[in-house]
Amino acid sequence: MGKGGVGKSTSAALHSIFLAEKGYRVVLVSLDPAHNQSDIFERRFSDKARKVGSNLFVIEVEQERWIKTYLKDVQQQINRAYAYLTAFNLESHFKVIKHSPGLEEYAVLLAYKHICKAYADFDFLVFDMPPTALSLKFFSLPSLSLIWLDHLLALRREIIKKRDLITKIKLIKKEYERDKLLNKINEQQRDYQDLKSGFETMDVTRIHLVLNPDKLSHAESMRILDRLDELDIKVYRIICNKMQGESSCVKIKKLETIPQIKFPASRIPLIGVSALQRFLKENRDAAAKQL
Amino acid sequence: MPFTFKSIKKKMIAFWKISDEVARGKAVETLEVELEELDHILGILVLGVFIGLPSPPMQISLELMPMMEKELILMMEKVDTANEPIAQLFSTLSID
Repeated sequence: MGKGGVGKSTSAALHSIFLAEKGYRVVLVSLDPAHNQSDIFERRFSDKARKVGSNLFVIEVEQERWIKTYLKDVQQQINRAYAYLTAFNLESHFKVIKHSPGLEEYAVLLAYKHICKAYADFDFLVFDMPPTALSLKFFSLPSLSLIWLDHLLALRREIIKKRDLITKIKLIKKEYERDKLLNKINEQQRDYQDLKSGFETMDVTRIHLVLNPDKLSHAESMRILDRLDELDIKVYRIICNKMQGESSCVKIKKLETIPQIKFPASRIPLIGVSALQRFLKENRDAAAKQL
Repeated sequence: MPFTFKSIKKKMIAFWKISDEVARGKAVETLEVELEELDHILGILVLGVFIGLPSPPMQISLELMPMMEKELILMMEKVDTANEPIAQLFSTLSID
């Protein structure tokens, strides 16, 4: 994570190549709609993993496609549940819903969940995150959703309790089938709880904060850190990019407590696998700290 | 005599059954209204986004929607009484 232009995508690419060269099986996933990995590796990537070198695969997530697939699935469920509404052309209403606030970060979350499951046997999944605002919404989504789900669950349980009471008083022998709505809310709660725990556990999710030696970059990094703190999510490492000379990486106390790696500004554009490998070789000491 | 006693007993049991049913009905009347309102609140909380109210993250609403037919119908029925909420409340509390 980090301010736009600090070198998140390049850092992610370097990190992935480093790990792959050490013998680990790595998938580099770009969640950034800007799709910089295609520019860095000089080849087209897509939602399908493409091999780059012996241990490295790269995926670029298409947010639009994920939103489309998700809404199609929901629409089919609604069509099945409300079959008599097929005359009302639900499809046209769903065309508008795809622009609803919140669906963008949910699409990123869906892609993230799918990739974590599909590539669970890989050693490392490196995620090149979207710009700060979307990344923070992504990390906030499980906590926010759980607040709503806890409340809806309590309300639904109260409804079921009152319904059972009425049934008992009226001596009705009717047995209600297990409440589908309650089951669905419980299922959503479990999913979000798992995601939240994953984000909070540093062994599962290692957040790298990338910054440059300038005031704006530091200011945004502090805001990112503060927001992640509110969510009980810790930053694993700071990558100080484009360093000039031996200047100090971070000047803010809060950032000083987090392990840091310093990378100098590159003399040549870091485009293509050979340029990235040469850069890692030239900065062997800093690169070694990535493990 | 036995015939009369039997018929009286039968009538008393029928009377008891009817009274019991009426009493149980009255006991749950307020509960049923309360239950309907709770269903309505759940409907508004989850699906309120479709009528311009703040709501949960969109995916929660969309994924619960297929299971909320009853609540959706209730919301649409409530539109009829939306102009006279006080009248409905008075009716529930049996205030003349």
